[in-house]
Amino acid sequence: MTHDDLEQLIARTAMGERSAFGDLYAGTSAKLFGICLRVLDDRAEAEEVAQEVYVKIWRHADRYRVNGLSPMTWLITIARNTAIDRLRRRREAQPGLDVAETLADPAPGPEAMAVQGGERAHLAACLGELNANRAEAVRRAYLLGETYADLAARFDVPLNTMRTWLRRSLLQLKECLTR
Amino acid sequence: MTGQPPYDEDADRVLAGEYALGLLSPEDAALFEARMQRLPHVRALYAAWAEDLARLTDDIPEAAPPAELKPRIDADLFGAAPTPRRPFAGWRGFGWLVGGAVAAALALLLAVNTGLLDPQGGAPEQAAATIAAEDGSLVLLARYDAAAGRLLVERQTGTAPAGRVLELWLIAGDNAPVSLGVLPPEGAAQVPIGADLGAQMPGGLLAVSEEPPGGSPTGAPTGAVLASGVISPV
Repeated sequence: MTHDDLEQLIARTAMGERSAFGDLYAGTSAKLFGICLRVLDDRAEAEEVAQEVYVKIWRHADRYRVNGLSPMTWLITIARNTAIDRLRRRREAQPGLDVAETLADPAPGPEAMAVQGGERAHLAACLGELNANRAEAVRRAYLLGETYADLAARFDVPLNTMRTWLRRSLLQLKECLTR
Repeated sequence: MTGQPPYDEDADRVLAGEYALGLLSPEDAALFEARMQRLPHVRALYAAWAEDLARLTDDIPEAAPPAELKPRIDADLFGAAPTPRRPFAGWRGFGWLVGGAVAAALALLLAVNTGLLDPQGGAPEQAAATIAAEDGSLVLLARYDAAAGRLLVERQTGTAPAGRVLELWLIAGDNAPVSLGVLPPEGAAQVPIGADLGAQMPGGLLAVSEEPPGGSPTGAPTGAVLASGVISPV
């Protein structure tokens, strides 16, 4: 589904057109459900969150243009944020839960590498320019919702050191991405 | 030197990245959102991060959601009934099973039950339910006698699918279904109802699912729900 197709479907969904919403679901649910599954690593929870995601998409379709995101990024961001919210609530309910096992190998296999477009390669290359731990911290924050406190504990550094690290990494990453 | 320090775009760029990653405290996130609303260039910094970070999902394999997810979303948004004969995919509350219309009727019934129709208070001594499939292919009549502590279930029409049995469930409010036992292949059944369950009967829902011989192996419905009906006072 192209950028323009998605924009049209979101616009029609914002007008309350159920068939457009159905087409949007058909074209994007495998991607968004995949994200929910990856973040939550639990099928039942991923289903509940995916349901919540599409309810949000229907209700907020008229706000799609507010932040100037591309349509796919808007959808991905809703899915990621909703899944992370759920994951954080789960962690609060189960203090001490070790989530290390829930993170699949962050390095994509050769097949995934082969099908990735230029953009992904760009991000991967820029993450590769960072110290491995710092790139891992960015991945963990995005894909597992780890907080500064989580990351500081994981990398065994003081909280403020973790903040400084990550902020520097973000600047370095941005500098590379806009190069 | 007087005046404001030069605008520090790097600071905003970092803040936008932290916001996109969800690393800000709730207070700082709210402040950042307020600035985004006011300042287009701050919005643009956030949007750039959102685009870049979304690429981290590129190597996540796609996964088709189960077929029943879309009907559930539609039911949530539009109040449409989920597809009939939907298997129980874990217990998800009342509305999913009975659909909007019945849920509304039930809410009304519960409201009525808690006051207007029962001015003396206390549960009615007699209650009844028609447990029916949407297409009428399976119909059972149930009558609850509180004094006798017993539920009488009579089959009007319909049978279990070949090789399966019918199991009766009581669903009270948002509670998980409680098995009332496997129904005989034909005719009537008497189910003893203790005081605990009896208290949940008025306004509850009786449902029949199809299960393997001997009934659900898990204690929760595992097969399709074939018929259901609300228990109302007689």
